[in-house]
Amino acid sequence: MNESLKDQVAVIGVGCTKFGDNFDQSYEDMVVEASFAAFADAGIAPDRVEAAWLGTFSPYAGRGKASVSLADALRLYDRPITRVENFCATGTDAFRNAAMAVAAGVYEVVLVVGAEKLKDRPIRGLGREGAHPWVGEGLTAPGMMAMLANRYMHQFGMGREMLAKVAVKNHRNGARNPKAHLQMEVGEEQVLRAPVIAWPYTLFDCCPTTDGAAAAVLCRASLARQFRPDPVMVKGIGLAVKTGRPWNDPCHEYIGFPATTQAAHAAYRMAGIQDPVREIDLAEVHDCFTWTEISTYEDLGFANKGEGWHFIDEGRSALDGDLPVNPSGGLKSFGHPIGATGVRMIYEVVSQLRGECGARQVPNARQGLVHNLGGPGAVSCVVVLGLQ
Amino acid sequence: MAIGITAYSAYIPRRRLGRAKIAAAWGSRAVPGSKAVVNFDEDALTMAQAAVWRLLPAAPEIDRIYFASTTAPFWQRSSASLVAAHCDLPAEVATADFGGTLRCGTSALGAALDAVAAGSGGRGVVVVASDARAPRPESPEEMIFGDAAAAVAVGRERVVAEVVAVASRSDDFLDEWRRDSDAHVHSFASKFSLARGYHANVVAVAGRVMEAAGIGAGEISRAVLASPDGAAHLAAASALGIPAERVEDTRAGDIGVTGSAMPLLLLAQALDRAASGDLILVVAYGEGADGLLLRVTSEIARLPRPCVSAEASVLEYPTYEIYRKLRSGDHAGEAAEVSNVLWEREETQNVRLHGTFCPGCGTLQFPITRVCVKCRNAEGLLEKPLARTGRLFTYTKDYLYDAPVQPTIMAIVDLDGGGRLLCQMTDADEQEVEIGMEVELVLRRMRPGPSMHHYYWKGRPVRGGSQ
Repeated sequence: MNESLKDQVAVIGVGCTKFGDNFDQSYEDMVVEASFAAFADAGIAPDRVEAAWLGTFSPYAGRGKASVSLADALRLYDRPITRVENFCATGTDAFRNAAMAVAAGVYEVVLVVGAEKLKDRPIRGLGREGAHPWVGEGLTAPGMMAMLANRYMHQFGMGREMLAKVAVKNHRNGARNPKAHLQMEVGEEQVLRAPVIAWPYTLFDCCPTTDGAAAAVLCRASLARQFRPDPVMVKGIGLAVKTGRPWNDPCHEYIGFPATTQAAHAAYRMAGIQDPVREIDLAEVHDCFTWTEISTYEDLGFANKGEGWHFIDEGRSALDGDLPVNPSGGLKSFGHPIGATGVRMIYEVVSQLRGECGARQVPNARQGLVHNLGGPGAVSCVVVLGLQ
Repeated sequence: MAIGITAYSAYIPRRRLGRAKIAAAWGSRAVPGSKAVVNFDEDALTMAQAAVWRLLPAAPEIDRIYFASTTAPFWQRSSASLVAAHCDLPAEVATADFGGTLRCGTSALGAALDAVAAGSGGRGVVVVASDARAPRPESPEEMIFGDAAAAVAVGRERVVAEVVAVASRSDDFLDEWRRDSDAHVHSFASKFSLARGYHANVVAVAGRVMEAAGIGAGEISRAVLASPDGAAHLAAASALGIPAERVEDTRAGDIGVTGSAMPLLLLAQALDRAASGDLILVVAYGEGADGLLLRVTSEIARLPRPCVSAEASVLEYPTYEIYRKLRSGDHAGEAAEVSNVLWEREETQNVRLHGTFCPGCGTLQFPITRVCVKCRNAEGLLEKPLARTGRLFTYTKDYLYDAPVQPTIMAIVDLDGGGRLLCQMTDADEQEVEIGMEVELVLRRMRPGPSMHHYYWKGRPVRGGSQ
């Protein structure tokens, strides 16, 4: 990697819908709301956008798996738009592609939108698209991640109460966030005694099925102060792909996500981060299930492998800890509309760095991390954002 | 050289439904005993495959498979061929399907003996009889019908029970039937049917067998008489002059009346306890009767015995009711259809359970691959069969998957010798599943496609005993 993205690209506008059961909003309604909010935040007219990226797993029903779900929503025609899909790392990968195009000097101002309308679908949970009728039949998203948690717990002797502590923390943060899907606190016992979804996960160990959209306007760093006085800079981005079939890989230990470690390594190197716990002020990480957050502490280098649960147990990732993780409430409480999540995390970290987060504000935040994880840990994208 | 049975096996589904529970469900008189019932993911085909797979180690050299059932899962699509493919037998192993009558198992056995005698059976013929019987709810049949499969290999080498005499007769007597459009059997079950149908045919054919062998009833060591009710065979034995203590227990009491599988299942049970020199009479009834007399040889000592296991777990009536709804097509959702292009290209992998061996690093792996998962070597990779036993690497108990009975236990299994596989677990008690446990891969029915029964491998706990 010769070219660094560090300080080449600025985020000048962000927008996000309320996440939740958005029964009265269509896919297009949410795309419009998030995008227009980002335009207003950046102080630009829609026409200023030269190119756009749509991160989405399931575009507007019946409109095809292409970029038109963004073009038609905004009537944003006559310019390049690309649809990105990379499992649950879709949102950050869309952001990454947009940032690279800006850094390459091809465009000055671009738009990234992540959107998902899961509640328009006639199924529970995420479902499996294009699944083989026999091979892997019976596998669900929580089941896939639960098999990792069980192996980890078997190997390291961690108890389920540590999983519950992650849920308690993220719900406590989400309860302070007016845009979160589940704005409610939960207790440890409540988590442990909830109905089992996929052992060891109960209902409260799992992120909800959520509708939502988020948007970000990016521009060339040198132009950023023409739009606003407090632009947030892209400091580093890393994306790594590992096997999408860890269950067939005899080398996979099933105790963590090597893709995250790889992606973080690339992002840290670009951002010049040596000691992430000291240099990162907050992190929005992919807590699709509670154990995923514990493994992610380790995979991001916040803790050693097998010791990540001490990080939650000691309160270090709490809002008042030394490295607050998921101050937004995370996927657990804020919700997880697949393609929207990564862009929503960008929205949260940008808002935190600007000091706009009210009751859940992390004090004196100057550098924040975004982490997306897709499939069975197959794809991970890490983005570091910071003030100049 | 003598012709006869060279190996045998049995498969009895693990679940037992108590008859008192059936009676309680319908408010009828309590009846003692139980019956073996297929799990929701089993049918006559999967039971037959399990029986044949258990048989093959003792009879590795076979050239034909005969499948017999009155409840084959397809009207048109050979169950024998499906069994052969899932046992990874080559295309040169010829197959034939038998059905249409409760004595189709012994009819297939007769045909196998003829084929071996004529030389067309090659080195040996495997005969498997299997029935997953579907009685009408709240019928007398629901109390007695049970599910099972049994298999025998027939050949000339190392015969454990040689054929002494055979006889067969046809009798178009109206007794029990199922039309092509019927889900359940119809029956004229009555004293008249038992006397004119069962009793008359069994006594007649057994008499002819003994006459052909030149023996009297007193010389018969064990009488294997398939029974329609677990009682009528005793009257037939009595009429033949065979004392009750020499009549093989029909298992109607705990396993049930297992249709076309019953004669071979009871024969397997008799062989489990037989000694060299024993004479075993086998009779099956259905629109006539088949009979044969076998003499046990000293080769019986080489087979692992017993093969008929008593392993069982309790099934509740509401769960049985869920199984039944499922079999009648009441599914929460359908799986995708499989194209014959995909099926054909992945046949050795998904049906025959082959993987890839990397000569670079010596790793046997699944699925079939062009580039080694471990060392990334792409030269000289070889397709190889995988072991069907292994250990549980990790698992989950999933309540989100829309399964008929929850939870669905999803597992990653490390197969002995190599190959890591993702599959559902079956026949597992929720509490017994743990990392490191021994698992065998068994063929089971998956969620169906719009026009297809899907079959794939599931993990099953390896428990003590030879079943």
